Amino acid sequence: MIAKIVCYTLLGLEGVPVEVETDVNRGVPSYDMVGLPDTAVKESKERVRSALKNSGLLFPMNRITINFAPADIRKEGAGFDLAVAISLLKASDQLVGVNVGDTVFLGELALNGDLRPIAGLLPILISAKGHGFTRFVIPAGNSEEARYLGGAEIYPAKTLQSVVRHLVGTEPIAPLDTAVFVPHAGARTSSDLKFVKGQPMARRAIEIAVAGGHNLLMIGPPGTGKTMLARCLPTIMPDLSFEEALEITKIHSVAGVLGEEGIVTERPFRTPHHTATTVSMCGGGNKTVHPGEMSLAHGGVLFLDELPEYQRSTLEALRQPLEDGKITVSRAGGTVTFPARFMLCASMNPCPCGNFGSSERTCTCTPAEIRRYRKKVSGPLLDRIDLQVEVDDIAYDDLTAGAEQESSKAVKERVDRARRIQRNRFEESGILTNAEMGEREIADFCGLSREGDEILRAAFERMHLSARARGRIIKVARTIADLDSSEEILPKHVFEAVSYRIYDKI
Amino acid sequence: MNYSAEERAYLWLCACTQTDYRERVALLGRAPSPVALLETPEKYFPAVCKGEACAYHSEREKREAEADAFLGELARKGYFAVTLVSDAYPESLKHISLPPLVLFGAGRRELLEKRKFCIVGSRIIPPWAEKLGRTMSEEIAEKFVIVTGLAEGGDNAAIEGALPSGNLISVLPCGLDECYPAAHASLKERIRRGGLLLSELLPSETAKKYSFHARNRLLAGLSEGVLVLAAGAKSGTLITANCALDYGRDVFALPHNVGASRGEGCNELIKKGAYLATGSADILSAYGMERTQKVRQDLTPDEARALEILRETGEMHTAAIAERMGMPAYEVSAILSALEIKGLAVKAGGNQYSAVS
Repeated sequence: MIAKIVCYTLLGLEGVPVEVETDVNRGVPSYDMVGLPDTAVKESKERVRSALKNSGLLFPMNRITINFAPADIRKEGAGFDLAVAISLLKASDQLVGVNVGDTVFLGELALNGDLRPIAGLLPILISAKGHGFTRFVIPAGNSEEARYLGGAEIYPAKTLQSVVRHLVGTEPIAPLDTAVFVPHAGARTSSDLKFVKGQPMARRAIEIAVAGGHNLLMIGPPGTGKTMLARCLPTIMPDLSFEEALEITKIHSVAGVLGEEGIVTERPFRTPHHTATTVSMCGGGNKTVHPGEMSLAHGGVLFLDELPEYQRSTLEALRQPLEDGKITVSRAGGTVTFPARFMLCASMNPCPCGNFGSSERTCTCTPAEIRRYRKKVSGPLLDRIDLQVEVDDIAYDDLTAGAEQESSKAVKERVDRARRIQRNRFEESGILTNAEMGEREIADFCGLSREGDEILRAAFERMHLSARARGRIIKVARTIADLDSSEEILPKHVFEAVSYRIYDKI
Repeated sequence: MNYSAEERAYLWLCACTQTDYRERVALLGRAPSPVALLETPEKYFPAVCKGEACAYHSEREKREAEADAFLGELARKGYFAVTLVSDAYPESLKHISLPPLVLFGAGRRELLEKRKFCIVGSRIIPPWAEKLGRTMSEEIAEKFVIVTGLAEGGDNAAIEGALPSGNLISVLPCGLDECYPAAHASLKERIRRGGLLLSELLPSETAKKYSFHARNRLLAGLSEGVLVLAAGAKSGTLITANCALDYGRDVFALPHNVGASRGEGCNELIKKGAYLATGSADILSAYGMERTQKVRQDLTPDEARALEILRETGEMHTAAIAERMGMPAYEVSAILSALEIKGLAVKAGGNQYSAVS
């Protein structure tokens, strides 16, 4: 008898249905697997045999052939175990009269028959639901992320035995309740702007950066709180919508970095170390393609500490995703496009010794050394970073009598308001933030007064700005005006925007 | 460009013989005219160049051909040469120790005849000094031709200030074909087009350790006065200042904070009697000139106040100014960048600003 069970595998972020066909014939006992299974799938034989035995079920001592269809995609991972086991049971007449054709079985088996959670469950569920499947049996360990699917019967099972009992009807498993998405539900971060002492300029810069979706570069000596400031970025970004959260969760689920809470409720903050390789940033993998840091930072912040220390090729790889918001990775295992719309926040020292521009310590670097250090970051990459701000290296107490520090919540309210203004403005343009504006939008929405135009011209002459700085200054000025709830870009907005262009001068 | 027979012989002596400066001077002293050296070198060379068998080509035709080839090469590259006997040779250079026998140049030759003033500073200089140097260079360039080098920092400030007016001579520590520092190749090209590049070395010679020292004597020798923007206690810039004192030129220096290591040399110069300069007016008035008055810029009340605070305190952090003015720091940073654009303040790094006169 032949049994067909539906299971899913992942191709990038998309789930692809795989039918597990099992044929049990009389003959010399044997066990063959066909249909491009990889090692982990082939090894399911041993897991399934033990799990069946330890669940009080029978492993048929017959000639068994298992086929994974379609045969041309590579099957990887242990997520097929449950489907293989069920199809074996079905084919060996141990599940008579049970209809399993419209149910998707997902899960890895332990030798004692327990079901283990698998990576990438949510993207599979979302794809399968799109393909018309509404009934799923999944490992109980995956319940938290599955809960958010909605509109489907999802049965979380702890063991193979409980799956069988559920199927034959002796002990039905209760389907999962659909969970309601609450942003910040799993908030664990302790970062808050109110803990950042001083740094009025940098605080303002990150507020503008988030409000307009601009990328940010912080320049300052080591140990001045650049990382701490960067960690506050997600706390002032707008709340995740459910759709965004699902998309981010899909990526994190595929990469296997999803936390306990099942769905991502906080904007991600990724800090790859500067030894990170290009592949770890972009995504890749030997057979199947896994998302890289850029995709894991999707919807959140990618923080690159000590920017010039990164490999040149790694930094250059950022350029295209920064423009397109997605990255296409081609590997032997296939070509996959991952979303990668993140906010880039980078930090660096002003010079190799870190003291350039410091009032208290003397810089010992030669101009040539400083030039070499800064040249490590290419012009095209800097082109995509709208805001550059210097982080102070002096104790704030020296400057002012300890004023009360604003909390992230207060800043976030202003950011939300500025974002609303932008949403209304770009309703028909298909973009969301000022940073995404192209030449046409700049012409449409960022008309400068004659005065503002003169200021810009004077700024270029006086401050020796590079020509490509112009568009970025205007975009930032637009965001500053939005934060000010000003319809027009006033001279003071332009002046402030100009003050965030320190890199062009040096 | 046409060279007289004398100039041609000079160039042959400098470019096509195996002699050093001392030998050339001795040869010129022995021969009745430079042309005689080219025509009958065997009469003079043996007494000067002892042991040197082939300091020159033995056949006269070959020597003539060498000289022509060298002149052709200069013309092809767009360079000109001025020799000690040329009319265009700067009078002021004749009186320094070891005046160069030949100067190679590229760019506006007529600048050699004008009055010259030298502005130098070490490579790493405080932002305010760089900014002030640029402004002063721009203003002095209305009356003088600015003479400087091609390095970063002080030289660069002088170049950026004077280049728009074209009144700029940059003396290289290497031949005209070369560029030191290499990163300033495009700057060098801009100067060739707008100003004048000078070098006493053959076009293909590279910069050696000692060429900077030698170049500095030319900076001082060419100019009527020298302004030092910034110099550490042992800065090479002081060589220029010392040369200037030896040649009887005026030396000016910007005053620096006591204890600031990058300004020690300047303060030391002032202590020893150099003029203290805080603006171009100080220098121009020393030569009995006045600066053409610039239109005063209109400032908003806030800008005027911020500037007042900056002038009062010297260097100050944006947040501290904000506290004094009772405004949020970001609004003050807009005001300060307005002042910067108007050329009245300069950002000194680490969000510190200082006023520029």
